Amino acid sequence: MWEGISTGFATAFTLANVGWVLLGCMAGTIIGMLPGLGPITAIALMIPVSYSLDPASGLIMMAGVYYGAVFGGSTSAILINAPGVASTVATSFDGYPMAREGQAGRALAIAAYASFAGGTLGALALMAFAGYLAALALEFQSPEYSLLLLVAMVSVVVFADRGARVRSLVTLLIGLMLGTIGTDQLAGIPRFTLGRYDLADGLNFVLVVMATFALAEAMRMVLLDDSTPPGRVSLRELVLPRPLVRPLVPVVGRSAAVGFLTGVLPGAGATLASFFAYDLEKRVGNGTRESGVAAPEAANNAASTGSFVPLLTLGIPGSGTTAVLLGVMLSYGLQPGPRLLTEQPEIFWGVIASMYLGNLFLLALNLPLIPLLARLLNLSSSLLIPLIVAFSLVGVYLTTLNGFDLYLMLGLAVLALLLRWFDFPLAPLLLGFILSGLFEENVRRTLFIGEAGYSEILQRPAVLVLLMLLIVLCLVPLRKQGADPIERH
Amino acid sequence: MRVFLGLALLLTAVTAQSAERLHLLIPAGPGGGLDSTARALGNALQAADLRSPVSYENMTGGGGGRAMAHFIETAPRQQETLLVNSTPLIVRSLQGLFPHSHHDVIPVAGLIAEFGAFVVRADSPIDSWTAFLTQLRADPAGVNVGGGSVRGSLDHIVLALALSGAGMDPRRVRYLPYDAGGKAMLALLGGEADVLSTGVGEALGYVRSGDVRILATTAPDRLPNLPDVPTLTELGVAFTFANWRGVFAAPGTPPDAVRQMEADVRAATDTDSWRQALQRYGWSPLGLYGEAFARYLDAQEIQLESTLVELGFISR
Repeated sequence: MWEGISTGFATAFTLANVGWVLLGCMAGTIIGMLPGLGPITAIALMIPVSYSLDPASGLIMMAGVYYGAVFGGSTSAILINAPGVASTVATSFDGYPMAREGQAGRALAIAAYASFAGGTLGALALMAFAGYLAALALEFQSPEYSLLLLVAMVSVVVFADRGARVRSLVTLLIGLMLGTIGTDQLAGIPRFTLGRYDLADGLNFVLVVMATFALAEAMRMVLLDDSTPPGRVSLRELVLPRPLVRPLVPVVGRSAAVGFLTGVLPGAGATLASFFAYDLEKRVGNGTRESGVAAPEAANNAASTGSFVPLLTLGIPGSGTTAVLLGVMLSYGLQPGPRLLTEQPEIFWGVIASMYLGNLFLLALNLPLIPLLARLLNLSSSLLIPLIVAFSLVGVYLTTLNGFDLYLMLGLAVLALLLRWFDFPLAPLLLGFILSGLFEENVRRTLFIGEAGYSEILQRPAVLVLLMLLIVLCLVPLRKQGADPIERH
Repeated sequence: MRVFLGLALLLTAVTAQSAERLHLLIPAGPGGGLDSTARALGNALQAADLRSPVSYENMTGGGGGRAMAHFIETAPRQQETLLVNSTPLIVRSLQGLFPHSHHDVIPVAGLIAEFGAFVVRADSPIDSWTAFLTQLRADPAGVNVGGGSVRGSLDHIVLALALSGAGMDPRRVRYLPYDAGGKAMLALLGGEADVLSTGVGEALGYVRSGDVRILATTAPDRLPNLPDVPTLTELGVAFTFANWRGVFAAPGTPPDAVRQMEADVRAATDTDSWRQALQRYGWSPLGLYGEAFARYLDAQEIQLESTLVELGFISR
């Protein structure tokens, strides 16, 4: 293994490859910062460039694009409440309120440092445990996924404010229902599509998040006529004060661990990771806004690194993004899987080694941009609101290229606005929507398997652990004295 | 902004060449069989400088129906596009799951035939096709058969046809659908599925790494890259099946343009790049062009319709 690691560093640190990491990270950050465009788009856009490279350089660059886009993705979530990818939704819960209070620079800086730490810790863990963790990915089958997703959804409800639990449950269910629109994933039959082809695919994620978060927020700003206090961000503010940093260190450590482990599981890795990390900090940690930004950012970056485990060791893509990466590897004639490690160690270890460098570059690229980006909020609301509306509409149209979706989006935005008006939290709605398809698919497969009897399923260790966790979670609301109510977005 | 311009310039510099461009529309996610076919074809076209640049678009949804509808609705803009497709196109239009069929597009070339494979883990107690049948007869509920597509679609149909050929009622077998070939393989390796019904190509990498074994293929003869794997015919099941993959032009594409695309694709299949892809993925060449490909599709439509009715997957 040590030999492999040193080969990897030798591959990653050649002048050419350092350049490709830098290019990949730059392209990824820039594309990732645009609302609505995430890692998948970023990687797809860079495919033509990758063709001209040898496999090691190409993959090193593409990996840079991937975590670069995850790194940059928090920007629009924090500044204009428009998380472009599912994994940055949790970042907007505390990041956007911070920005509204003139702390945009600090929130962005925390996000950048936490992303850096999460990504670097993830790369360390990948290097140390990749081989062993492949087994974890295999351990997780339909019953385990069903329960894990249930844990995620139940925690969002029980960890809500005491008074908001029922409301959270309601919006979670609305989200789950929105997710059932489209083609049934197991039987291939269209559901709730009103016979329209536009709905056969279900609602697009970017559409739902832009409608319920960005567009609804813009509408609210118009109706309430509240403007952001102008925040001044100087480069000095990027150096976080020591008393602020110290409590964040364990937060980032915990979140990176949670993120990496969740990311290893094929499926909704980075998104689940960011929600888990956020909930964990709100419950176990001190629950400050700063930790609410640091936790999901450390987690989603560690998770995107973790998702390389099933890709590189099993040849199985765990997310849409790693699936595109798999396509790139196949087009090089590489067969990712157990034999990649033994036959092409310079590629396996080279990609991992390049991640240390990539995360350093990302930090260096992102920090100086923060004062510039934060200045966006100093625009008067008569400029900012139309900008948000235009960005979200154009972002959705570019994703789906379907005019029908714009009307759908307006409808959803009005629904979201009404829900907020009556104090229904929107985060559970989004979580329900994101997990709906995955949850249904796994539950239904579990039921198919269960026809033969559930005793075998109940004997699986991971199933038992998750079931116990679920029972504990369900007991939380019965406690007489809860902790301080949590502010939920 | 400057960075953007730089990036755009770089992209242009990398991709600017003399040959005409071609866009490949792939009605499935990246990483699966259709995607690898498209990318292998694109690589061959570019390597021989027949077409350049070749761009790819993965459009998932509706079991390929969305890409098909998009292709037909925007046909006037798709004159430089080829739609990659495969046997499920016929199955799904027979099932009425989308309004279009292969009659609505122009068949250009049938590129490859991929045979079905029944796959088990290397250490599985089910070590032969016969053992699989015995186990199914003894305890149909005790065997989970996975596949990379929804119920009533190709992986399921191939399983059903093979089992009914062996004299069993396919409706008694539990079929677990996964949304993509990769996830189905994960379920097999992780032990949730005992047997996997999939394409030879999707299993080949794992056969080479020693993780899985193939019990039988649906090919008429043993495959050159799997000389030890028996065919179903050898095992007494009179059933062969090939999943074709081919390319189609949009309706209304001028005949000259269609002929040019056909000629380019035909030339691309005569390159080393293409032959290496066939070898790597375990595909068999189909080599049908234009009219011949169209007749092949019509014949398969008739064959599949009668079996689907017989098996109760559709009613007439």
